[in-house]
Amino acid sequence: MPLDIDRFAKRASPLQRWDPRIKLFTLGIFVFSVALLKTLPIACIALALAISILRLSNLPYDFVASSVKWVIFFLLPFFIIMPLSYPGEAAFYVIGLPFAWEGLQLATLIFIKAVAIILTTFSMFGTSRFDVSMIALQHLKCPKILVQMLLFTYRYTFVFIDEMRRMQVAMRARGFVMKSDLNTMQVMGNFVGTLLVRSFERSERVYKAMLSKGYQGELHSMVRFKSERQDFIKSALVLTTAIIMLSLDFSGLFLPAKQGWF
Amino acid sequence: MHISDGILSAPVLTAGFIGTVALAAYTLRQLDLDDIPKVSVITSVFFVASLIHVPIGPSSVHLILGGLVGVVLGMRAFPAIMLGIILQTILFGHGGVTVIGVNTMMLGGGGLVAYGVWQLRHRFNIKKKEMLFGGLAGASAIFFSGIVLALALVTTGEEFIATAGYTLIAHIPVIIIEALIVGACAAFLAKVKPDALAGQLPTSAAPAVEPTTDSRNEKPPR
Repeated sequence: MPLDIDRFAKRASPLQRWDPRIKLFTLGIFVFSVALLKTLPIACIALALAISILRLSNLPYDFVASSVKWVIFFLLPFFIIMPLSYPGEAAFYVIGLPFAWEGLQLATLIFIKAVAIILTTFSMFGTSRFDVSMIALQHLKCPKILVQMLLFTYRYTFVFIDEMRRMQVAMRARGFVMKSDLNTMQVMGNFVGTLLVRSFERSERVYKAMLSKGYQGELHSMVRFKSERQDFIKSALVLTTAIIMLSLDFSGLFLPAKQGWF
Repeated sequence: MHISDGILSAPVLTAGFIGTVALAAYTLRQLDLDDIPKVSVITSVFFVASLIHVPIGPSSVHLILGGLVGVVLGMRAFPAIMLGIILQTILFGHGGVTVIGVNTMMLGGGGLVAYGVWQLRHRFNIKKKEMLFGGLAGASAIFFSGIVLALALVTTGEEFIATAGYTLIAHIPVIIIEALIVGACAAFLAKVKPDALAGQLPTSAAPAVEPTTDSRNEKPPR
């Protein structure tokens, strides 16, 4: 799983050029409206939209797929559990279990919505540098303290991943093999404890270094945002589609009819 | 362990966000200036530690350590877990933007419950109580999260009742593993760096403190 989501933020595309503040706001609203959808045809349109926004963003296919495959993997059980456990009439029986089409329909809806949302998340955060996105969030009235903590946490994640890999190499060099027994649990407990003790000491050094550079709870940034007419046009386009999608969905035109898929 | 986008209904999502904002506002207000870098650096350790996979039989689970966050950070566990969940959403797309509230209530609430359980250790005077209560804290965090997850599913619709049941059963091995690892880790920290643990009473370090207070009392000769 790639941790540096902003690896391809420098590619040129309409999404990379979009003012991060307006981009996050617009796509955030889009994501929430997708989550509220209740009908399958509209969810398919939302997925198509999410895919086309992602295509516009010029992010490489492999990069997105490496994360999306895990989400799909976690959602697969729904296709088995939902049809077999849906209350109501069964269409037919699979090894004694009632199979309901409504359950499969619901599982498909969940699946499509989830994939549409995760693809949009990539368009939101994969197309600007992580720190720029965070500062943009701060402009969107996200609490300052939260933005600072997110930036710190993100930065130190890479440090501790390296630290963890070093410790794992050291453990393997001493012949440690993970098993499912008490000893492994004890060793892993100590492993996490060691990582924590090291991080405590590091966090004290970090804080002192920050104080000596004049830290007083403020984060000063060189990032300046500039929004132009194009930014607002893009935003208006996405927001109008979101509103049309939601109103079509709530209008009941496509409400899951009892007998069919549409 | 989290719930994905697109499953829960709007009222459940909203309830999750309201609860999270309220608890986060309360716990964030208690943070001092020097807590900001510290809590964030420690959050990143937990973030990294949750990438560790532990084998159980033929399969493996990844550590959650929500209980350990409570044991180490106390009330600050809630904002820490919220940070972890937001980062996970942004970086991996696990969970999702709309379920940040529910997931934070689920795991962050577990962290607070773990802290409550962990604090109970002061009432007992037994050997290895750090290991015992650390283990209980680790288990109770996951247990609480599992209950919240099941409740969120059931309140969304009755068609999810069976799913909720299966998820609860799937949590049992995770509870055992978390209990063992958090217990071992709490015992380790109590030995190596006791002030890294949350809610340590000053009296628990009484033998080390007493001589210094005595000498301090003697110093000003009046």
